[in-house]
Amino acid sequence: MADSLHAYEHVRGIYFPIAIGVFALVLATLLLLLVRGRLRQTAPGRTADAPRFEIGYALLLACTVAFLIVVTFRSETPIDRTAAHPAVRIEVTAAQWSWVFTYAGGATVSDVSSWQPSVALVPVGQEVEFYGRSRDVIHGFWVPQLHFQRQFLPEYPTRFDLRFDKPGRYGGVCSVFCGDRHAQMHFALEAVSPARFQRWLGEHARRWPSARSAS
Amino acid sequence: MAVCKVGELSTVTLPARAAPLRTLASTDHKRVAVGAGAVAFAFFIAGGVLALVMRSQLAADGGVVSQDTYNQLFTMHGSTMVYLFVVPVALAAGLYFVPLQVGAAAVAGPRMALAGLWLLVFGGLAMWAGFLTSGGAAAASWWGFDPLSDAIHSPGSGVELWIFGVVLATAGQMLWAGCVLVTALRCRAPGMTLMRMPVFTWSMVATCLLVVFAFPALIVALALLWAQRHFGGVLDGGLGAVDYQQLFWFYGHPVVYVMFFPFIGMVGEVVATFCGRRFFGHSAFILALLAFAGLSMTVWAHHMFTMGQVTNKYFALTSTALIVPAGIEYLDLLGTIWRGRLRFSAAFLFALGFIVQFLVGGLTGIVLASPPLDYGLNMSYFVVAHFHYTIFAGSAFGLFAGVYYWFPKVTGVLLRERLGKLHFLLMAIGTNLAFFPMFVLGAEGMTRRIADYPSSSGWQSLNELETVGAGVIALSILAFVVNVVVSLRARQAAGDDPWQGQTLEWATSSPPPRHNFHALPPIRSFAPLLDLREDSEDLLAGERAPA
Repeated sequence: MADSLHAYEHVRGIYFPIAIGVFALVLATLLLLLVRGRLRQTAPGRTADAPRFEIGYALLLACTVAFLIVVTFRSETPIDRTAAHPAVRIEVTAAQWSWVFTYAGGATVSDVSSWQPSVALVPVGQEVEFYGRSRDVIHGFWVPQLHFQRQFLPEYPTRFDLRFDKPGRYGGVCSVFCGDRHAQMHFALEAVSPARFQRWLGEHARRWPSARSAS
Repeated sequence: MAVCKVGELSTVTLPARAAPLRTLASTDHKRVAVGAGAVAFAFFIAGGVLALVMRSQLAADGGVVSQDTYNQLFTMHGSTMVYLFVVPVALAAGLYFVPLQVGAAAVAGPRMALAGLWLLVFGGLAMWAGFLTSGGAAAASWWGFDPLSDAIHSPGSGVELWIFGVVLATAGQMLWAGCVLVTALRCRAPGMTLMRMPVFTWSMVATCLLVVFAFPALIVALALLWAQRHFGGVLDGGLGAVDYQQLFWFYGHPVVYVMFFPFIGMVGEVVATFCGRRFFGHSAFILALLAFAGLSMTVWAHHMFTMGQVTNKYFALTSTALIVPAGIEYLDLLGTIWRGRLRFSAAFLFALGFIVQFLVGGLTGIVLASPPLDYGLNMSYFVVAHFHYTIFAGSAFGLFAGVYYWFPKVTGVLLRERLGKLHFLLMAIGTNLAFFPMFVLGAEGMTRRIADYPSSSGWQSLNELETVGAGVIALSILAFVVNVVVSLRARQAAGDDPWQGQTLEWATSSPPPRHNFHALPPIRSFAPLLDLREDSEDLLAGERAPA
């Protein structure tokens, strides 16, 4: 299951509270030390180290690392996994400065980059295989709502699976700087019911090669 | 020792007003370091002006500069700040203070140190000369990633000049690192054992090791890029692009710590001095620095998680493991404040700013080291916020802590404390206004390196806030420049040791003589001057209350 959305939310739900907690703890300790140090009348302390405390503290840090790594590894494995029999396969070709989505059967959604891109459809709740590559420089395929991105390398395909659990529009953007119209290099995916998706795909394939946008 | 003797004095006598000229032919590490610091600061101002233009563009809904100009601006801003400001200024501080802190009369390889200054000047001028060419300066980002930077996608001499500039400046930095490293390892005064070297010197040792081992990879990467541009066939196709990034980030991650270690070292010195106590956990701090340096050579491909071409889990593991040395360093800084008698000088305020704000950058770095989170945040403004919190909100504050601390030693006069505190206040406010909103924008999907964004995105107001913050930062730097000018004109003599320093640079005159020391105090620890003060306190206490 290529569920990047829930993996991200799961890991964020563990990492962010810890990070905020550590920040608050350090800040509170620092403020306490500053107030006490400012009021101090006697000569400064001379303790130069506390080896046992430092070793114990280092072990605590190492345990934190181990915990975070377990969380990260367990969440990453399912994102990287690709399904043996995905429901749909879409070839995505990026170039300066356009996205082309080609479906099995020949249906194509292509778009010279703009902030109002044509919409490519995907089925809700099914495993969608993406097969991405670039025709020139490196581009980045980023769907912020799914918290997923992958770089498309020139003439060297990359494969990943995504699942769109909620119907609706998923905006996408090129994340890797790729030249003058990088900022305009948007794309759009829309998740619809599998039945509607199949209907759209059929109509689209018939209209090939003049197929442009949908919905 | 022979490697560290004072070079013969110049036979040419120049008038006193020709001081900059003398710097360009000097073999005095202090003079070369001040020259390098001044050149780096000039590039900091230049890179900062580029940032202000970018911020105006992003606040003004586009329309200030063209897309192509904007690409040149962020490329040159990043390149200037990394290659021409932060790394050079860090090494310049080492070049000035490492010989003093270890009680050496000179730096090892003074002519190499001088060559480094020339290389920095020529490298910087070459890079910036791109603006004078018809195609404009390099516009392929400070990474210069192939294939965007190849002859097809970035024709013209901008990228050529950028390659030459970066290679020259980097070669100079390698020379400096060699000088500083050999000075610390081979030129120490009698009694100055390795474990008695102060934290700043140790931070420079770790830094120079990284420079020596990692920087050649950048020169190789850029040489290959140059060959690709002229002959092709070197970095072709998708895997050529991956190869370039492997080489680039093998430099590009260690350089992040080159831009961090020296400044946490400065903060360590400042905190110990203004808390009036010995640095806490000196040995642990050194071990942490060395572990940090070693680990940092193994984390480079966490910049490549979203390529799908590296073993993400391995790099996630090594990157997350950095928590251990970083946590120890933080414990030692807090431990030094513990039971200290604090003096809230401008230098100490900047050190506190470093401690709090760098933490934000460090913790978000751990977030980005987790691939499931990086997939959602990479290349976004979240990353921009993260590294500006480390390099600017962290290291630049550490740098100014060092500047306020050491300025009296270098010039013989004190900086104005009240102007310094104003500088701190403005810079802290401006920094957080400018960079904190970027975390939010990045998580909402704003990508890096865009001159414009759809008005429907709702990002305008936060971008305006960031631009206001950038303006406040500019004001704070103005306050600093005014402070320097006022302090140098209406001079308040600093004396040898205005802060009750603990390390050897405070045991000589301000500025130090050509050969650094007339005499050295006994060296029994990493804080020889504190030893002397504690001895006399004990003696007094003993006289008052005889046992």
